[in-house]
Amino acid sequence: MTSPTPDNADRDADGIHPAARPFLFLGKTKVKRNFIWFPLAGMILCSLIGIFHPPKHPAPWEMIGGTMIPGSWAIFGFLAYSFIVFMAEPLFRLLGRREDFYGEGGLPDPEVSTDPMITGEAHHD
Amino acid sequence: MIDALPILAEINPGLWVILAGVIAALMPAGVVRKTLAILAPVFAAVLIFDMYDSTEVLAGQFSILGVELTTLRIDNLSVVWGYLFCLAGVINAIYALHEDSWITDSSALIYTGAAIAGVLSGDMLSLFLFWELTAISSVFLVWQGGDRAYHAGIRYLVIQVLSGVLLLAGAVIFAASKGGDFTFGYIGLDAPGGWLLLIAMGIKAGFPMLHMWMQDAYPKASITGTVILASFTTKFAIYALARGFPGTDILIWIGCVMTMFPVFFAVVENDLRRVLAYSLNNQLGFMVAGIGIGTTLAMNGVVGQVFVHVIFKGLLFMSIGAVIYRTGTAKASELGGLFRSMPFTTVLCLIGAGSIAAFPLLAAFVTKAMILSAALEEHLWIPFAMMLFASAGVMEHSGIKVPHFTFFAHDSGRRVKEAPWNMLVAMGLAAALCIVLAWPWGGYDILYSIMPYPTDYKPYTWDHVVFQLQLLFAAIFAFTLLKRFKFYPAERRAEIVDADILYRKVGKGVAIWVDAVWSSLGGFTNDLKSRSAKTIGRRLYHAFSPAGSLSQAAPSGLASILTAMVLILVLIFAYVAGR
Repeated sequence: MTSPTPDNADRDADGIHPAARPFLFLGKTKVKRNFIWFPLAGMILCSLIGIFHPPKHPAPWEMIGGTMIPGSWAIFGFLAYSFIVFMAEPLFRLLGRREDFYGEGGLPDPEVSTDPMITGEAHHD
Repeated sequence: MIDALPILAEINPGLWVILAGVIAALMPAGVVRKTLAILAPVFAAVLIFDMYDSTEVLAGQFSILGVELTTLRIDNLSVVWGYLFCLAGVINAIYALHEDSWITDSSALIYTGAAIAGVLSGDMLSLFLFWELTAISSVFLVWQGGDRAYHAGIRYLVIQVLSGVLLLAGAVIFAASKGGDFTFGYIGLDAPGGWLLLIAMGIKAGFPMLHMWMQDAYPKASITGTVILASFTTKFAIYALARGFPGTDILIWIGCVMTMFPVFFAVVENDLRRVLAYSLNNQLGFMVAGIGIGTTLAMNGVVGQVFVHVIFKGLLFMSIGAVIYRTGTAKASELGGLFRSMPFTTVLCLIGAGSIAAFPLLAAFVTKAMILSAALEEHLWIPFAMMLFASAGVMEHSGIKVPHFTFFAHDSGRRVKEAPWNMLVAMGLAAALCIVLAWPWGGYDILYSIMPYPTDYKPYTWDHVVFQLQLLFAAIFAFTLLKRFKFYPAERRAEIVDADILYRKVGKGVAIWVDAVWSSLGGFTNDLKSRSAKTIGRRLYHAFSPAGSLSQAAPSGLASILTAMVLILVLIFAYVAGR
């Protein structure tokens, strides 16, 4: 699908910016799937370093019996982030209304829409 | 410059920017307007630099109706906001170079000038004047968003003016208790009028349940309008809170709630400018909490956070603005894969996202930690936990969601041009500042040198870097894991209702019902209306006529309350009539 504007008239046939070509691999499914190892490795590495460089003012929940829990901020961050995401569905059911709920309109554009509600394909990749 | 023209030292530098805005409104030539838009804030910054030599500057003092006004005060607190607003004015002007609109140019200049003049005002009446001017001038930026922004603009104006009315009422009551002294300094909640002033500032700062104007108006303003709006109003309010309510305990809890609740709205919101408006609310929460803690470390953190926040939040709004400019939409459900056609905007947006998430080497890393450390030092464990939770939320909505759904994720197939050169220059400047101001070898010292209190805080310690990275890597890992197992919700078109449903639906419904009941009562109500009008008219005459009780002295507390009430009634009437 292309833009409704004539913006791509002076571009390459496929509309890819020359500066983006070396980075097109970022769009490959394999790269996207394997990206998960990068934050996992970073999280483990930082948790290990954190054992040797504990915080100056640890919060009470970061300690068990006077010992610092390794990776305490990683655990907190993982749980907090997951909680926020898992709250999305019930919140959407509770707060979500049609876009014209207030009668002031959104941006319905079925001609160029890639919205899953219109195309029927969820964006999960 | 001041030496050559000493009169300049008596005039609030913001007034020159306002004057430039007035000239721009009369100027048909776009080149002249654009030149003014860039040079006026630079001129104001040069004036501030010339005037301020680390000692408090008080100038532009005169008396009106027995009230002493100090229209110019530059001290260690206001000078930071002064420089910041000038810098933001220049970046915003560059970003708006492509837009040929005298309304945008003039209202942006007047709005910028009013914000600069407001933070450099030494008394509460001048503060009120510029407080209202920021509201009135900025609403045109909302209306520049087109027809669908009209009602949001009206609501924005009503709420902003209401904030000003409360500010005036509070200021007069406060001054009356001080023998007519309107000097704007520490207020506190125990002072008469303190609560009114706090609520007035809270409306502009986006306190919980008073915040909805932001998420209502900002996403509907014009592309450049949203960027400009995001720079000033809320940060002006943060300045006022930092001046009037440092160390006020309730602000810690208000701030912490502010950091948390937007996170949940942002995760379900589809409009990325609205996501950023919630993100703005969340960041303001850190500042409000820091003001509540009120220690020197916390206040330095607040000032630093305000400074970098204007830059990185502007950068994020600018990048999404560039996307709207090219694609026509900011709906996450409509975007994706744009790194293929807008690679420079992608990189700049990622720098903004990393900055707001407080990645090491990027802006918020050297400022937000000061507020969190201040909470730890004061053993405020629960507020600290709330802010840490919110930090994971920041990573979710601004660090991941905005860049991911815009530039990566599902390829929407849109192949558009890169952003215009002026947008790239403005975003490039902001991105460079995000890096420079957090640079470990001398960079953050620049930021720390303008903080109000001397500091020996070291942001680049092993424990800070490592634990912050733990949090951020864990959040990214959670995202990738939830995405892989399809627990991360797909973006869907919807109107996510917020507390503004109370007046946009419930309040409107009640008003319509009351009107219907009133009309059905027919003759009785006509008689009642006629008698009520006569009674009110007679009482107003006794109060406000030349011989009336309220016309014999300078503003008193009672007069201000009555004036405020009348203004509120007028506002409500205007709002209902506007519907």
